[in-house]
Amino acid sequence: MTGKLGYSAAIVSIGRCVTKRDDAAILTALQLGAIASSRAIQNAGIKRRQIGAFFTGRCPTSYRTLQYNQTLLNELKIAPVFNTEVTAHGAGALGTIELAVLAVNSGLVDYALCVTNEASGVWLKDKVGQNAAGESNPQFEAPYGPTTPSLYAQVACRYLHEYGATSEMMAKVAVENRHWALTHPHAAMRNRGAITIEDVLNSRMIASPLHLLDCAVNYPGGISTAFIITRAELAHNHSNPTWIAGFGQQTTHEWISERMGAYDLDVIGHEPNLTNTGCATAARQAYEMSGLKPDDIDIVQTSAPFSFVHLMMLEELGFCKKGEGGPFVMDGHIDFDGGLPFNTMGGYLSFGQMAQGLYNLHETIDQIWGQAEGRQVPDAHVGLVHGHGGILASHSVMIVSRERA
Amino acid sequence: MTEPSIKLEDWAQGISMRAGPVSLGLYQPSPETMEYWHGIERRELMLRQCPACQRCFHPKRIVCSDCGSSELTWVRASGRGSVYSFSEIHRPPSATFATGVPYINGLVRLEEGVHLFTRFIPEPGPVRINAPARLDFRVLESHWLLPVFLVG
Repeated sequence: MTGKLGYSAAIVSIGRCVTKRDDAAILTALQLGAIASSRAIQNAGIKRRQIGAFFTGRCPTSYRTLQYNQTLLNELKIAPVFNTEVTAHGAGALGTIELAVLAVNSGLVDYALCVTNEASGVWLKDKVGQNAAGESNPQFEAPYGPTTPSLYAQVACRYLHEYGATSEMMAKVAVENRHWALTHPHAAMRNRGAITIEDVLNSRMIASPLHLLDCAVNYPGGISTAFIITRAELAHNHSNPTWIAGFGQQTTHEWISERMGAYDLDVIGHEPNLTNTGCATAARQAYEMSGLKPDDIDIVQTSAPFSFVHLMMLEELGFCKKGEGGPFVMDGHIDFDGGLPFNTMGGYLSFGQMAQGLYNLHETIDQIWGQAEGRQVPDAHVGLVHGHGGILASHSVMIVSRERA
Repeated sequence: MTEPSIKLEDWAQGISMRAGPVSLGLYQPSPETMEYWHGIERRELMLRQCPACQRCFHPKRIVCSDCGSSELTWVRASGRGSVYSFSEIHRPPSATFATGVPYINGLVRLEEGVHLFTRFIPEPGPVRINAPARLDFRVLESHWLLPVFLVG
């Protein structure tokens, strides 16, 4: 069945809108979403009446409203017959595109518009407190004073214990992420210079074993990315369609302590643990659907807010064996110079993280069409994008290709 | 410091959690978990248990994930467990918690098979994976009386 979905739909247009903290007129998440969506519709050369499906990420943290999808739909004056908001934390961003593939293949609609937008980097002042409250169980975790890094650190604690990874291995990821950020025009750390493993280890401790430079940077602004998706027969009418080769998604829990109440599930195994994630399932489905394997992937973006998460995801995505993410990066396999092109925006650690977003997918498409100025990876035709959120709770994987199989 | 007394009628309104002017949400003692909070007032840690298959669960569970029973009962935990994971927090989430840094939060594995998020206090310490942990109750920086675990 998955074989039928692989390469059955394509992205035929993208719209983007960016706001930065130091812009003269900063935009709200709703403004970003409306402008990016409008650009995507115009770039596709279609009329708004042709948008049959409309999927948005979850309501932006900086623009709380009930039924956000309706609020944005109202700005665009479109009338979809299939619309909803996709949650699943950061994985829900790619989830909007997955739903779009199913919608356009149903034959009930021709074009789907997918958009995520967030501007928390300019509108939310207390990000440490806000993030901690959002990521912890308000009743059973928050009263103990957790921070988001300390919640992820529970997984890091176990990962280091179970697989023998080290702080140096985690730091190596931050070093390579930074190299890429220095080449990206929108990266938060673009002007902050290269860093070394020693810089990471000497940066102040935030929540053991995570140092400051092991942690994501809050993106100093907001980004909206909008995509138009259509099925194969219609995609051929558009220039440069990007084929959606395969995708997968899995969610295993809500709240890190409740994850330990999950057991007897294929992805976790019999005993509860923190180190087997839904990313493995999502990746397996995406590879099966596309007929591709890790060796076929030219470029990879992960949604990893802490250094050790990259090591785990390299394993879950099949680029190395379980537990070998550390040695894999220490051996140079994700080096800016000569390794697998990995997080070519700089990753969450140096590009910056902004809630639920599709900017990773946009970057991948720029790369495979040779439009990544100043950071172009040669001969990149197939890209893999990973989305994740909620203390490793929800994962999405999408493989996109310049050529149709 | 005052120890809040949890009342059932509080739940629908919740207890506001704020970071400066931004509302972050609510602490939510709710009808299905009231016995957990009442247990804390008695200095007892209460878990859920399935009367059919005897499996113990996190205090928030509503149905048994083994046999499907919705008739879970409350059972008092022995208070014995071990450290499953932990992190020493140096940067606090808010000014309220700044008085306590560095402090250690983590997951305790109870001998009933249930894992809970908690505060580990190194008495005598050190806090490390698999170290034995025993239940105590302390008023933390949040001014809430909470179950904590003494390690070592």
